[in-house]
Amino acid sequence: MSPQAGAQSRETDAALMERIAQRDESALAELYDRYAAMLTSVLNRILRDTQAAEEIMQDIFFQVWRTSSQFDAGRGSLPGWLAVIARNRAISRLRRKNPAQGEELGENSVALAYNLESEAAQREMMARVVGALTRLPEEQRRAVELAYFEGMTHSEIARHTGDPLGTVKTRLRAAVETLKRNLQR
Amino acid sequence: MNAHPTREEDFDLYALGALEGDEKQAIERHVAECAECARKLAEARGRIALLALAAPPVAPSPGAKQQLLRRIHAEDTARISPAAATKAAAAERREFFPKWWSRTMAAAGVAAALAAIFLWTENARLNQRLEKMQASLDQQAKDLHEAREEAEMFESAETRMVALTPMPGHPMTARVLYNAKMGMVMCDVQAPAAPQKMSYQLWVMTKGGPISAGAFNTGSTGWSSWMSDVPKGTQPMGFAITIEPEGGMPHPTGPMVMTTRIS
Repeated sequence: MSPQAGAQSRETDAALMERIAQRDESALAELYDRYAAMLTSVLNRILRDTQAAEEIMQDIFFQVWRTSSQFDAGRGSLPGWLAVIARNRAISRLRRKNPAQGEELGENSVALAYNLESEAAQREMMARVVGALTRLPEEQRRAVELAYFEGMTHSEIARHTGDPLGTVKTRLRAAVETLKRNLQR
Repeated sequence: MNAHPTREEDFDLYALGALEGDEKQAIERHVAECAECARKLAEARGRIALLALAAPPVAPSPGAKQQLLRRIHAEDTARISPAAATKAAAAERREFFPKWWSRTMAAAGVAAALAAIFLWTENARLNQRLEKMQASLDQQAKDLHEAREEAEMFESAETRMVALTPMPGHPMTARVLYNAKMGMVMCDVQAPAAPQKMSYQLWVMTKGGPISAGAFNTGSTGWSSWMSDVPKGTQPMGFAITIEPEGGMPHPTGPMVMTTRIS
């Protein structure tokens, strides 16, 4: 199935954001139905705390409600932004840091080549992402997970795994190169 | 303007948060002045954002959406009437307990709908388990055999999934995927580490008594997933997790921390 297929009979994210900017609560409810599970899942994976995950997820949608007028569909993908904000907030909380850059709606451009507006499209993309990760050599996959879900830099991964820094850099570079290739249409 | 990054992957590594120090600053300085590289970085952010979909699926509690809508409604009301906003906030606090109750009920209810997605995430974690089991070629062969069985299990229409419910005071989540015909049980647990010199142990509850489906600990990661064989044709009446002496016991002896029944 094409990831675009699910969006045919639905309002686009951009249309929902326009309605949200006009204080239409039902539009926010619809946006929530699209992306709340995705955000809760990644937040819970990073924080391993369902309560904290749900709090941040609600805060993000609250932020969408308050700052929807800042959203410019031409500058990027809404689910991409939501995922970036969720991850940044969770990593900040995990490390007890103040909010980092990239936690505001539309702060950084996020270009996503896929439409994730339907549940089916999300499920299909999930299978592709998990499949791409699973096909990586174990040490590369582990390095990606430590960076993405634990917020570790090259040197932090090296300290965590006990591997030389150069090895970690080579490993992670190879991993993102392979992921990019495997995730392309 | 400093030089373009020499390798395209630098943008992905930046988006992943792996770069630090001079490497990170060089990218930031450059994309601030180079529209082409800013575009490449936006694309890299999008690719890396997709990794969010690799997280094990967790559904928000049913009450979360209404709570959010009340919150935004209260905020809008506050713009017009501060007194009305205070009243709305008090109403939200009163619903604290029902929210938790609904969360507990939801944890048990979402499992079936997530079965297909679970298969993928389970496969990923099992690969992590394989890393620790590559001590010998014989062991690898055994693992490959297990992987084939897992694939068969994933494809089987008779495979079922259930969520276990934690006993009070045990903040845990667990999902069991089982196929009675194949005699296979897979479990995925999120839990604090077991007490010192103790393990968790999963039991298949049957008419003939409990059958062990593996002792485990979650360690520093807080996660554990594994697969066990049980006699083919074993019809589970439910599953339970107890705390047992390290390595597990032939029969349950310790306190039960999670359980579920199969209707």
